[in-house]
Amino acid sequence: MEDTDLTFWRAAVYGSLGLICFLGLWEISIRLHLVDPFFLPPPSQIITRAIRMTTGTDAVLLSDIRISASRVLTGFFLSVLAGVPFGLVMGVSSVVRATLNPIISIIRPLPALSWIPLSMLWLGIDEQQKYAIVFMGCFASILVYTTDATMRVDPVLRRAARNLGASDFQVLRYVILPGALPDLLSGLKVVLAIAWTCVISAEMVGANSGLGFRIWTAKEWSDTGQVLVGMISISVTVLILDIAFRGLERLLLPWQRKVSGT
Amino acid sequence: MALIQLDNVSKVFSSRKVDVEAVRGFSLSIRKGEVVTLVGASGCGKTTVLNMVAGFIAPTSGKVFLEGEPVSRVEPRCGMIFQSYALFPWLTVRENVEFGPKVNGISRKTRKDLARNYIEMVGLTGFADSYPGELSGGMRQRVALCRALANKPDILLCDEPFAALDAMTRQVMQQELLNIVSRSGQTVFFITHSIDEALILSDRVVVMSARPGQVKAVYDIDLSRPRKIDVQLTDEYLKIKRKIWDLVEEEVKASMNM
Ligand SMILES: Nc1ncnc2c1ncn2[C@@H]1O[C@H](COP(=O)(O)OP(=O)(O)OP(=O)(O)O)[C@@H](O)[C@H]1O
Ligand SMILES: [Mg+2]
Repeated sequence: MEDTDLTFWRAAVYGSLGLICFLGLWEISIRLHLVDPFFLPPPSQIITRAIRMTTGTDAVLLSDIRISASRVLTGFFLSVLAGVPFGLVMGVSSVVRATLNPIISIIRPLPALSWIPLSMLWLGIDEQQKYAIVFMGCFASILVYTTDATMRVDPVLRRAARNLGASDFQVLRYVILPGALPDLLSGLKVVLAIAWTCVISAEMVGANSGLGFRIWTAKEWSDTGQVLVGMISISVTVLILDIAFRGLERLLLPWQRKVSGT
Repeated sequence: MALIQLDNVSKVFSSRKVDVEAVRGFSLSIRKGEVVTLVGASGCGKTTVLNMVAGFIAPTSGKVFLEGEPVSRVEPRCGMIFQSYALFPWLTVRENVEFGPKVNGISRKTRKDLARNYIEMVGLTGFADSYPGELSGGMRQRVALCRALANKPDILLCDEPFAALDAMTRQVMQQELLNIVSRSGQTVFFITHSIDEALILSDRVVVMSARPGQVKAVYDIDLSRPRKIDVQLTDEYLKIKRKIWDLVEEEVKASMNM
């Protein structure tokens, strides 16, 4: 029999069941003393901890989330702003592509972490350094995703536009850009995840705020509860951003939604 | 002076592995206002000829002239209806039709009216706000026709534009096309697989040989206009159809036995 897609609500029911079982097993294994709560605190304890970190006198969690998210988004937007136009030009011009390819091939394999020492020497540990890390981690990937997406636009559509009298710029603006957008947006979704890795790592190494910093200091105090609250906050924030991103996708690509019939 | 002139044009597609000679020594001249159709076996080089007239690809040797000047870039005087439709999937039917007028700086109001008229003419008014992905093949083909017409090109290059239509719609579209070009004086260079379609539409029919495509024969079609469907029953029509049929059959066989 064919495995058909579930409706939204049924999928939600199954998903909640899976989650409840997982949390239940976790809680029980600690209550039965199978796991030492010092290594892994139970969900109940994590929840009270999270509540304390959002409401108490030293409620830092929300501001940490805000700080980390704004670092991620600022760095991400800066690299999109620089990377997408460059990538478009690379996609349409084989000369530019050939010229820049070696440079990109050298920069792209470098993990964002490897930029931390240099960026700290250049910029200290303030906000600019965080943006710089995100930029260095994302820029080359955005270039490559944009270039690929651009090159996948059906050449016959470029011909059609030119045939209808479009100028070089009009072809770029009205054909290449919208034609590349679906692939470009799925690429950017991947890059957004890279941006999170960059910020969290940078915060662990040198910062005095943000989720990465909070997790790292908690580790220094062997405070596993706070470590887990920090980690879960990352998951939840990334999930929320992902939903927002999907909304943006639907907004920008109405034709794909209609055509796929959903 | 001829409007379109192909002068001993050849095209070889070279890749690392093989060279494909698509067109060889193709010469033809088309006067302003003429309707000329090109028939020939699949793969004989028809689309390649059209692509060279439109300026999408350059001949390997020989030259293509428009009003006496060599074609050296994509030619906006030639409106192309692509075999694969080439509609912009992210634009609605209306926006696709408006694309040409828009990039040519026609005012919003004028191009709206223009698009509405053409969309109505091909019977797609109810689908003006649909995306190409939501349409059938035949509907997409009609949109492609509208998009080319809305730009009012001097020359219409049509690459099997009615191939995906049912027989009835096809006849209606053929008549519509003839009405439009006889009113506007546009020149039409038209590829088709259907000899009947060629005979209904053309002033001249060019039969191409199997690949490498050459001009095998050119027939003047003197059937009186307007040509209604019953022209197909006249002796004159049947005689010329027979002749073209035999030639094309020969070439199809030649291309299959290679
Ligand atoms: N861009 C290309 N690169 C390499 N070979 C090509 C290219 N375009 C066409 N050809 C070859 O040239 C020959 C003629 O192709 P063309 O598309 O002109 O045929 P056609 O007469 O339009 O066929 P059909 O009736 O099936 O559309 C074919 O053998 C094809 O393989
Ligand atoms: Mg063809």
